[in-house]
Amino acid sequence: MKIKKGYWIFMILFLICTVGPFVWGFLISVTPEYGMFGKSSSLLPEQITWDNYKILLGGGRQGQLFFTGMLNSLKAVALTLLLGMPAALLSAYALARMEFQGRKLIKNMLLITMVIPVMATIIPIYRIYADYQLLDNIFWLSVIYVSALLPVTTWLISNYFATIPKELEEAALVDGCGRMRAFLRIILPASGPVVVSAALILFLNTWSQFQIPLILASSLATKPVAVVTSEFMTKDAVQYGITAAAGICAVVPPAVLALGLRRFLISGMMGGAVKE
Amino acid sequence: MMKKALPYLLLAPMMIIMGVLVFYPVIETFSYSLKKWKLTAPGDISFVGLGNYVSVLKSPSFWYSLQNTLFLLAVVVLFTTIISIAVALFLNVESRVSGLMLAAAVLPWALPPYVNGVLWKFIMSSGYGFLNKLLITLHVTDQPVEWLSSRWLLLLAVALVVTWRSIPFMALVCLAGRKALPGSLYEAARIDGGSSFQIFRKITVPLMLPFVGIGITSTSVTAVNVFDEIVALSGMGDLGKNIVVESYLTTFSFLDFGKGSAITYLVMLLAGILGIFYLRSLNREVMYG
Repeated sequence: MKIKKGYWIFMILFLICTVGPFVWGFLISVTPEYGMFGKSSSLLPEQITWDNYKILLGGGRQGQLFFTGMLNSLKAVALTLLLGMPAALLSAYALARMEFQGRKLIKNMLLITMVIPVMATIIPIYRIYADYQLLDNIFWLSVIYVSALLPVTTWLISNYFATIPKELEEAALVDGCGRMRAFLRIILPASGPVVVSAALILFLNTWSQFQIPLILASSLATKPVAVVTSEFMTKDAVQYGITAAAGICAVVPPAVLALGLRRFLISGMMGGAVKE
Repeated sequence: MMKKALPYLLLAPMMIIMGVLVFYPVIETFSYSLKKWKLTAPGDISFVGLGNYVSVLKSPSFWYSLQNTLFLLAVVVLFTTIISIAVALFLNVESRVSGLMLAAAVLPWALPPYVNGVLWKFIMSSGYGFLNKLLITLHVTDQPVEWLSSRWLLLLAVALVVTWRSIPFMALVCLAGRKALPGSLYEAARIDGGSSFQIFRKITVPLMLPFVGIGITSTSVTAVNVFDEIVALSGMGDLGKNIVVESYLTTFSFLDFGKGSAITYLVMLLAGILGIFYLRSLNREVMYG
């Protein structure tokens, strides 16, 4: 009985700490500007307004800016998935299932790149991109995300491939299937969950990007949503309500995905770190 | 012949991307760090050896931001470790709501760190922040506290937000560790008359240690590389800057590519040392797993 009470207390504390910031951000976003700084220490707004959301989702300058930002993030996600998934799947298959010279070396190199910080690569990349006029280009921006996320996705997928029984594939090979057909027909169909996990991790990480686009994407046409939100914070310094509304809108797509596909997200996060 | 080439063919797309966009730039950054090179004076590039490193190590600004980095590292790792173990043990309890709790637990990890920082700014802000309103309502203080305007309070705030984002990953790793412990071990200990605390100290803690190791090292790498949360809570101001912000400002605001690259290499040295521990714990896990 005593343990049960402790459990519920911990649960309430835990929920307040995890979900609380979103609730407060939402409250700020629906509080009229003048109501925020009022001397009153009341925690709930006295009046509710949807004006900030109307501005963001409307066609004005700020609405345009925000909408483009969301769209840019979505485009970057699509490109990252398109480029990253095939590359990760193919390398993971080679690393998990084939014997060849340099296999161990490549695996170790993959692990090492997981801990290389962004700043260590971005300065020469900035120069190369400037020289070849690749700055402010969502495609080339996404290529950088792919290079940052390939190690962890390849590692995750290859860990999963290693758990698929070898016999399945061997039977297909004996039947005269080529290596690639065995991969497409046997391995890939058996890997649904890890493909979803890896795609989800690519999606969420791309959506979260801030530092890289801050350096490589300075134009309105390429800035992702996090950078746009940061501009509401600095350029329009007084408009806390709009910044809060932008923040809330920016977390909706990843939050919905993460909650809806949580089973895959959790197995992906665990599988990338701990071999099962 | 084809058979031998196949694995390399499959690896080619990844190797090309990593080679061009990771390995080559990392080496190139080092060569930048040995040059005097400011974009403000593009014609004036010359080799200066370790000159940039010497001038970085002599600048008070570097030591200030290094102190901030080490403070963030210590606080984030300490808080994340303690809270994550507690959260993992909490998530391990089966109850009607445990599925829902697991979902809530991963949320902070899945969302953009910059936006997380903004949401927390609304809590810590002195004027309309939740924390001050709460403290005033509870009569703990009658003047709002300026959380984000003094160095250590600001860093503490940054550390809390980073901790909040790092807990999901470490808690999941610890949970994986806890689930890997055979239940029979606990039954045997209970039959032998072990108290809950004894069981926790003698079984749970030591057997979860390798997993805690993975969590701590990965959190350390995160803590050294914090950028988004600092910018969200304090802008690019000098007060709360860590070495990552310092290297960003030197390179892209003051356009000193040589010095910026040198700072970057010093960050990488620190992240690399922590990273080696991470890789070792990861590899050990793979071997025993």
